[in-house]
Amino acid sequence: MNHRCVLFVIIAAMVAIIPVSAVEQQTAAAQVMVTNVTLDPLVFMTDDTGTVTVEVINNGAQSVAISRVTMYDEKIRVQSRAYDTTMYLGAGNRMTFTFTVSAPVPDGIYYPVFSMDFRDAGYLRYPVKLQVQDKPLKVSILSKPDVFTGGKKEQVEVLVGNPRDNGVSGVIVYPTGEGIDASPSSIFIGMIAPDQSQKVNFSITPRQSTTLEIHVDYMNGINSHAEVIRLPIDLGKSKIRAEPILSNIQIERSGNTYSLTGDVNNAGLEVANAVVITTGDSVVPVDPYRKYVVGTLQPDDFSAFEVTFTAEGTDRVPVEVSYKDNDGNLYTTTTTIDIPLTKPGAQGTGEFPIVIIAVILVCAAVIGGIVWYSWRKR
Amino acid sequence: MINLLDLLVHPERFFSALEGKEPDLKIPAAIALAGAVVAAVAGYAQSSLFSEMFSGMGGGAGVGAFIGIMAAVGAFFGFLVIWWVLMAGVFHVISMMFKGSGNFTRTLANTGYGLLPTLIGSVITTLILYTYLPRIAVPVIRNLQDAAAVQKAMQEMMLDPAMKEFTQVSMAISILFLVWSANIWIFGVRQARGLTLKQACITVIVPVTIFILYMMYVTFSGFSMLGGA
Repeated sequence: MNHRCVLFVIIAAMVAIIPVSAVEQQTAAAQVMVTNVTLDPLVFMTDDTGTVTVEVINNGAQSVAISRVTMYDEKIRVQSRAYDTTMYLGAGNRMTFTFTVSAPVPDGIYYPVFSMDFRDAGYLRYPVKLQVQDKPLKVSILSKPDVFTGGKKEQVEVLVGNPRDNGVSGVIVYPTGEGIDASPSSIFIGMIAPDQSQKVNFSITPRQSTTLEIHVDYMNGINSHAEVIRLPIDLGKSKIRAEPILSNIQIERSGNTYSLTGDVNNAGLEVANAVVITTGDSVVPVDPYRKYVVGTLQPDDFSAFEVTFTAEGTDRVPVEVSYKDNDGNLYTTTTTIDIPLTKPGAQGTGEFPIVIIAVILVCAAVIGGIVWYSWRKR
Repeated sequence: MINLLDLLVHPERFFSALEGKEPDLKIPAAIALAGAVVAAVAGYAQSSLFSEMFSGMGGGAGVGAFIGIMAAVGAFFGFLVIWWVLMAGVFHVISMMFKGSGNFTRTLANTGYGLLPTLIGSVITTLILYTYLPRIAVPVIRNLQDAAAVQKAMQEMMLDPAMKEFTQVSMAISILFLVWSANIWIFGVRQARGLTLKQACITVIVPVTIFILYMMYVTFSGFSMLGGA
């Protein structure tokens, strides 16, 4: 009798106690709430991979048993596994859960669901807002020369703008192109905040007609992205380059040597450095002015020059004007000038001939004598 | 019989011998023609410089030949007209102020006799010209239409050292022989126009001096005139 009574009391107590414990668990679970959601990146681009971190807190006075935590969505792909291990969230404690997600979806706002299952106390469902924005960085050329000249360094100004709703990091800008020297080779910008932009300058020296590519690499979270803008470069003559013009040309002959004098004017808009004037191949430069160094010619400035040469079998002299720009690039212009043809006379001694003087003196003496004699005879 | 030695050395005796005779223009004309021929030869020789100047043009040879012929003809008639007829006319007109008598034919004849030293001087200057010609550097003109280039070439040629030297030498010799001719003209004009010696001197020396000054002016100042400066 006693054994049966004891067993009955125990079973009755258990039946009475169990419903009371489940209620308490549900009450405690109700005190668990999501306090913070963090996305990295803040705004995804299509196919970006990132993390969603959910922080929960137990505001109750009892610990809560958690059997499973997961995240799911039809379109947003959750790549990390669920938290399947039973854990307890103590009273007043916080706990964070991080999920790796990818967004193979077009632009839009998505709500993957954070799900926390409690042991014997139901579950917590929390939709997380995840924005997908497929706007890349915008790259534009702010300034460039009208015409690129082979070997001449020109400045190209690039603007990198961030039209996105989140900042991007690790922004690097670098130009490339066949036959192009760029300085600096790349520029690290780092972070560009939303709706902000950054200017960078490059010195571009093209060696040939080519296509200049301005690359911009950046990170959205852990995802690498790249943008490129292409700028065709057709080499030509700069509109503002120095332009030496010869004028007031005069050619004088002394024996077999010609002396060519004139003025050289800088009709361009840039400084012509180290201006040197000489004659071309078809004639032979001779001393004293085989070459004439003018030096620096400012725009609208001019200088006189003189070159000396001999010319056999030609009636034209090519006059070469070479100068350097501020980058040290050498330019040469050739102007062909007609040599005034002259039938060369036989070279005299340059002195009044003695024979002629003698003839004149003899004539003067004879004529003077005759005149004197003709009057004396009277 | 004409004694040319007397003409050159004793012009007074030479013209005294002609007094009372009808003026004969044959010998004076022969002297003047000889002088004209020498002047034509000299003109043609000098024109060779212009032929070379135009040798750079198409048809330059034709232009050169034309210039040569024109120079020779011009010098020939220029000598006859200026040195003989014009000079005789000047003497005749000036002598009118002294109430000179005698017809123009006699003045023309005696002036022609006086051209003999000028003829000798022309021969000498022509010979000297041929020694200078190879030494003269001649600019070559490519385009006759380019007036500035033609002017510049002319200026360069006249300023050529050899050309300047020849011009000065020929001027000196011409003046010397012109003085000799003037000496003969004085006695010739006196005989032809019945003037006193003083009147004859004035009649001859004034125009001859003016002519000599003109020659000197052209020689020393005329280079720039020819160049158009």
